[in-house]
Amino acid sequence: MLRRFLFLLSTLIVAIQSAEENDGGARLLVSKQILNRYIVEDMDVIVKYTLYNIGSSPAVNVVLKDNSFSEEVFKVVGGFLNIKIPRIPPATNVTHITVLKPIVDGFYNFTAAEVSYQNSDESAKVQVAISSEPGEGYIVAFRDYDKKFSPHLLDWCAFAIMTFPSLAIPFFLWWSSKSKYDSFSKPKKSTKDN
Amino acid sequence: MSAKNKSVFTKEEELLLQDFSRNVSTKSSALFYGNAFIVSAIPIWLFWRIHMIDVYSSIISFIIVTLASTYLVAFAYKNTKFVLKHKIAVKREEAIAREVSRKLSEDKKMSRKEKDERILWKKNEVSDYEATTFSIFYNNSLFLALVIFISFYVLKTFSPALNYVLSIGIAGSILALLSTGTK
Repeated sequence: MLRRFLFLLSTLIVAIQSAEENDGGARLLVSKQILNRYIVEDMDVIVKYTLYNIGSSPAVNVVLKDNSFSEEVFKVVGGFLNIKIPRIPPATNVTHITVLKPIVDGFYNFTAAEVSYQNSDESAKVQVAISSEPGEGYIVAFRDYDKKFSPHLLDWCAFAIMTFPSLAIPFFLWWSSKSKYDSFSKPKKSTKDN
Repeated sequence: MSAKNKSVFTKEEELLLQDFSRNVSTKSSALFYGNAFIVSAIPIWLFWRIHMIDVYSSIISFIIVTLASTYLVAFAYKNTKFVLKHKIAVKREEAIAREVSRKLSEDKKMSRKEKDERILWKKNEVSDYEATTFSIFYNNSLFLALVIFISFYVLKTFSPALNYVLSIGIAGSILALLSTGTK
């Protein structure tokens, strides 16, 4: 417990020190979000990166790199995982969106993206930041997703077409014979029975 | 048929009823088994496309269940047909007699006995035809409705493979059971 407390204290001090050091320069907050409610195999996953400069000077040569999506699990459908933004002025948002497609199902740990930038136009020092982590998610197999959410209209139509002959043909044959003989027996019965 | 009804039958009808055995001809048996096979195999589509059953690993159960269900459905066809045939024969008697007499009215040479035989034969044929077609229609509708109800409502939470075996099995059994019960 004590150890933990000391560790927290030391990180806090380092953070304050670095904040003091950076005072007056650009400071980027980076968030990484996955916008999908369900992450489904073979369906698009939208990843949104938001960079916000809370510093007093522009961040220069901002490079966003996301190596957290392994090529064996995801393929990029649209956008880029590595981008360069020349300049982010103070108090400005920049968003970037990438569309990916998972190719396998199962659990996947979505970790942080890395951002490197220069504090100001003059500074040569490269500052490195890490985005927020979306955390562990489950990639649902397409078969399970489809089973749960698809209305299967075409499949039901095909089923109806397949069953139609086996129901309609016997019914029609029976009906034609029935109506033929009903009409034969009608003339005399009409007043009494029917 | 109950004993009470039997006493009301004329001699010709008794003769006719003797022809109404439960055994069906080869042609009608082939028709029953062919239809039963088709209607038993169609639900595989539902399980494949909608329940997302794994087709390759379930091939053996598809074959076994389809064959078993074919037997049960064909059994139900036969029983339903047997029950219906009697009812239809009684119902159609008058109309058929009128139709046959009208056709044979010009033929003065034909004896009354021969005419009656013609009527009986025609009645047998018509009631057989109507009972067969209606039995197929009725059992097909009931079977498909039962399969859909059981697999999508009753056994909704079961795994697709188990759902398939149980829903087709139960639907076939209910069909067979109902067909014996309506005697």
